[in-house]
This record gives sequence, structure tokens and C-alpha cells, in this order.
Amino acid sequence: MSGIVADGVSRSFGAVHAVRSASFRAEAGRVTGLVGPNGAGKTTLLLMLASLLAPDTGTVRIGDVDPMEDPLGARRMLGWMPDALGAWPSLTARETIVTTARLYSIERDAAHARAAELLALVGLSELADAPAKVLSRGQKQKLGLARALVHDPQVLLLDEPASGLDPDARVQLRVLLRRLAGEGRTVLISSHILSELEEVIDDAVFLVAGSVVDADPALAAARAWRIRLAGEATIADADRVAAALGMASGALDVDRNAMLVGFATEQAAAAGLRRIVEAGIDVTEFSPAQSALEHTFLNLPRSEPHA
Amino acid sequence: MNPSHIGTIARLELTQRLRSAGWYVLLGCFALILLAVTAYSFVAYSYGDAMGAGVFSIVVNTVLLLVVLVSPTLSGNAINGDRDAATLAAVQVTAASTGDIMIGKLVAAVATGGAFLVVAVPFMAVSLIGGGAHPATLAVSLLVLAIEIIIVAAVGVGFSGLIARPLFSVAATYLVVAALTIGTLIAFGLGGAAFRTEITTQTRPYDSTGNVVCDRWDTYTSEMPRFDQVWWVLSANPFVVLADATPTSFDAYGYPQDMFGQIKFGVRSAQLPPSPYPQWDECHPNRPREEPPTAQEVIDSTVPSWFVGLGIQIVIAGSLFAGAWARTRTPARMLPPGTRVA
Repeated sequence: MSGIVADGVSRSFGAVHAVRSASFRAEAGRVTGLVGPNGAGKTTLLLMLASLLAPDTGTVRIGDVDPMEDPLGARRMLGWMPDALGAWPSLTARETIVTTARLYSIERDAAHARAAELLALVGLSELADAPAKVLSRGQKQKLGLARALVHDPQVLLLDEPASGLDPDARVQLRVLLRRLAGEGRTVLISSHILSELEEVIDDAVFLVAGSVVDADPALAAARAWRIRLAGEATIADADRVAAALGMASGALDVDRNAMLVGFATEQAAAAGLRRIVEAGIDVTEFSPAQSALEHTFLNLPRSEPHA
Repeated sequence: MNPSHIGTIARLELTQRLRSAGWYVLLGCFALILLAVTAYSFVAYSYGDAMGAGVFSIVVNTVLLLVVLVSPTLSGNAINGDRDAATLAAVQVTAASTGDIMIGKLVAAVATGGAFLVVAVPFMAVSLIGGGAHPATLAVSLLVLAIEIIIVAAVGVGFSGLIARPLFSVAATYLVVAALTIGTLIAFGLGGAAFRTEITTQTRPYDSTGNVVCDRWDTYTSEMPRFDQVWWVLSANPFVVLADATPTSFDAYGYPQDMFGQIKFGVRSAQLPPSPYPQWDECHPNRPREEPPTAQEVIDSTVPSWFVGLGIQIVIAGSLFAGAWARTRTPARMLPPGTRVA
């Protein structure tokens, strides 16, 4: 069993409480998303999981290993991709992977084979012998991912892996992460691109001001739904929809050829759709204006942001 | 501790350095300076019978000077530079231990300093062929040079792990080097002048016609600096360590033939308490006077100090290095102020 368990983990830097008593688990074979606003403590939490930072209180387990007691054991098991990837500027992509592999005690020949394999996997084969300083931000992210995978880790900690990636690469990343989870690995991924995250994650952990928060109340909050009619939407259309929903005339606005209507629950939304259809209005689109994850994220209880 | 990891980290450091043009320019300048110094010292020592010894000691001192001037910039940002570039954490998260990282960085810094030594070898060889330098001198001075390179490298790596900003850690390394090379001289001079002792000198008075009066003495007291109480301060000076550790050859008058020996003579003389000037009695001009000891006699009668100096340097470098080691350990409890792990 090689999941991640955090139990009451706290860490402060001077007066700043970056993570406060965070508890969660990420299961093996699943992709878990770590979601939270800027400064919520995601990176600090990942650093503690990656055995680089000691928690002030609480315990972390990577599989069966406590990284505080056996950092080397934890490191052999985990692959970490930081948000700001530091690449050795004058080394080529291939040398970067080979060097990292050597630091994991992989033999020279095996390291070269592994580098070729990983560069092909992340799509950097053509740039394998270019120095890292000429790589674009997205290419550096790919290199960082390849580096995190070099020792075939059972647990992956990815901090904003999709930032700087083009849409093609994002799709490839999604497929790769699903495949890695399918092989029984634990994948913990933090990202701000919630729509992307939603496509790939099985579970989500919400972190606000250093604490893990229960997402159920936020998920239950009223959601906005986007309603689009056939043809160009006019104010008259908006009034017809408002009338069908029993709302005052002028209560709805037309925004980018569609109307936004708030429904408290999914049942209320379904009932609303039925009334619009029964009123003979030609609906072509009736969908949540935000993804479920985005909706939850935006409705999380906010407190003072922390650096 | 894993030799393969240490090698990989050292190679990583060196590869990045070897791929920058500035490095080769620096080595080229170094070679040019040595060429000029060697040529001029051959001219300067051409009068003596031990030209090689003189030239050799000047070349080695120049190498030491350049090494202590250049090494801080090569090692003073080893750890915090990587922290700034976010490449340190990428190494820390691998199976390489903190010890592997620290030793690897030190090995790389020493190897860089060693490159200067390699460039200097032809010049040392030329001065040896010039004649007069003792093979033991070559061996000892190479050994001392190597140790000084290691010490400066350890100070640099140490500060780079303790201080967050590369600029400040390089500056701090320079300050330690300056304290050892120039600071010890200042402390020695000031200390000697602060502790003074009264010396009484007697001379024969003269009468109004200018004839010496032989039935009484005039007594003068003057204050003499007590360098014999502060001589040990100088022992930590790298140039003194080098000079003091190197075997000295003397000429027929017991005077050292090379610069090492001259420095050694100066430093050893400071160990002797001030003595009254040898009294010369004009009334007994033929009475034998006490001859001042020769350089050889001074050197033979005083205490070698180079191991004290090396000991002081090793304690300074070792404690800085150990402090940096503790600060670089992961999982980190304390971080150097103003840094983040990644």
C-alpha cells in the first residue's frame, strides 16, 4: 500500500502559519487533486510530503515510511516535481535526466536508457541534446516531469505540472497521469487550472489558509447555469425565460448570447429546464456555468490569505 | 556517504563551470600573470647563486595569492546559488544525502582551485630547473598550497550554506581570507605596539671637548614593542604557514636564500623578546662584542608555528562547513533566514 497519509500536519515560518493541522489521505491507484487559492500552503504541504521540510507537528507517511525517520526510504519511493523547476542551465535535457538518475544510484548504462525512454515519453526527444537554458517554460515543465519519473516512483507529487503547457501537452499529461494511476501509483497534483484538473482527478483535497476544508457545503451552494437559445439571444428572450421560471421581467441579462440563472440544487435546475421547455422556448444549451471543481473552489470559505 | 553520488555532484558543478567561457579567460589571465612574475623574478634573482630557489618561492607565493583571491568566488555561492536557481532541492530530493551534496560541492571547489595549481606547475618546474630549489621545498609547498585551497573552499562552501544571498556569502569568504592574510598582520602590528616594555641602554657620555668620559655611564630608557607576545597571531597567515612549513636553505652567511626563508626569519625573529642593543664601550673598543644571531640561528632556536596556523585555519573552515552541513540537512527544521526550500 503506497498511498500518502498526512495527519495533523502543521508548519509555520516565523509568525506565518503556512499549514495548520492538515489531515488527508491520497490513495494508491488514484489521482488526488490538491486545490486551494494562492498562498493556501499547497507548496509547503508538498515540500513536507517530499521529505524536504520537517513538519512542526503531525506526521506524514509515504507508503509505510515516515520521511522524518527515513528520508532516504521515502525519497526512493517518491517523485517530486516542484512548481519552479530549477534546471541546470548548461546541461542538456539528456544530461539532466542522466545526472538525476545517477543520484538515485542508477547505473550509467541504465541511466542513459532511462533518459531516452523518458524524453520520448514527455515528447522532448528532439531537444534531448539542447542545453536546458534554451528550453521554453513548457519544455522545462516536461523536463521536470521526466526528472520526477526517473526512478520509477510509486508516489508522485506534482506541483502545478500543467503550467506553461500547450493544450496538446496538457492532454498528453492527463493521459499520462491516468496511466500512472492505473499502474497502481499514487498521484497527488496541485493545479490552478481547475477545468483541467477536473478531467483527471478522482479525489480532491481543498486547502484554504493552511487548513484542509470540507468541500461538501461549498459543493451544495447555489450554482449558476448557462442557458442558450437557438439564434441570437435578445432581451425579449431573456424576459420569456424569466417568465417561464416565474421571475420578474428584466431579472435576467443576456451575456455572450446566453443567460445565467442560479439554481440552489440540481433538482431545482432540472425543474427549471422542464418549465422552459414546456413554455415552448427553443433551448440548445443548459449547462453549469462552472465546472463542479471550480464551483466548489469559488465557494470555499475564505479567510485571510497567508503568504 | 556515497562516492558515486559525490562524484556525480562534483561533476555536475564542474561541467557547468567548464562550459562557461569566463572560466578559460580567468585561467588564461592567471597563466599570463605567472609568466610575467616568473620572468621578472629570474631577472631580480640573477645576481645570486641560488636563482631557482628565489624564483620558485616568488612563483609559489603568487600562486597562493591568486588562489586565495579567486577561490572565494568559485566556492562562495555553491549552496545558496543553487538554492536561488531552485536546483538544490532537486538534488536534495534524490537519494543523495546531505553529506554527498556538501562533500561533492567541496570536491568541485577544490578541483577548481586545483586547476590553478596545474596551470602553475610548468612555472614551478622552470624555476626548479633554474637550479637551487630543493625538491623537498617543492613537495612541501605543493602540499601547503593544496591544503590552503581546501581551507578556502571549505570556508566558501560553509558561508554559502549559512548565508542566504550569494553576494554576501562571497563577501564573507573574502573577509575571512582578508582577516587571515591582512588582518593577522594588522593585529600583529597593533598588538606588538600595545604591549611595550622598557629597555635601558647605557652609553658613555662626552665632555665639552668631545672626549669620551670613561668613569660613568649615561642611561637611557626607551619603550620597545613586545612582538614576542603576539607572534602567534601571524601563524594563521597562509603566507606564513607556507613559508614556515617550507624547509629553508641558507647561504654562507646563514642568510635564507629564498623568500620563504626571509618571511620565516622575520616571523621567527618576532618570537624573541627584545634585548638591549649590544653595548659598545668606547673606552674598551677592543673588548669583543656579542654578535647578533644569524638568521639560521634564529630559525633553529625558535618554535615552528605552521601547524598552529593550520590548526586555527582548519578550526575556522571546519566549523563553517559543519554549520552549513547542519543548515542544509533535510527534512529541514530551520532554514537560513530569507530562504525557501524550493
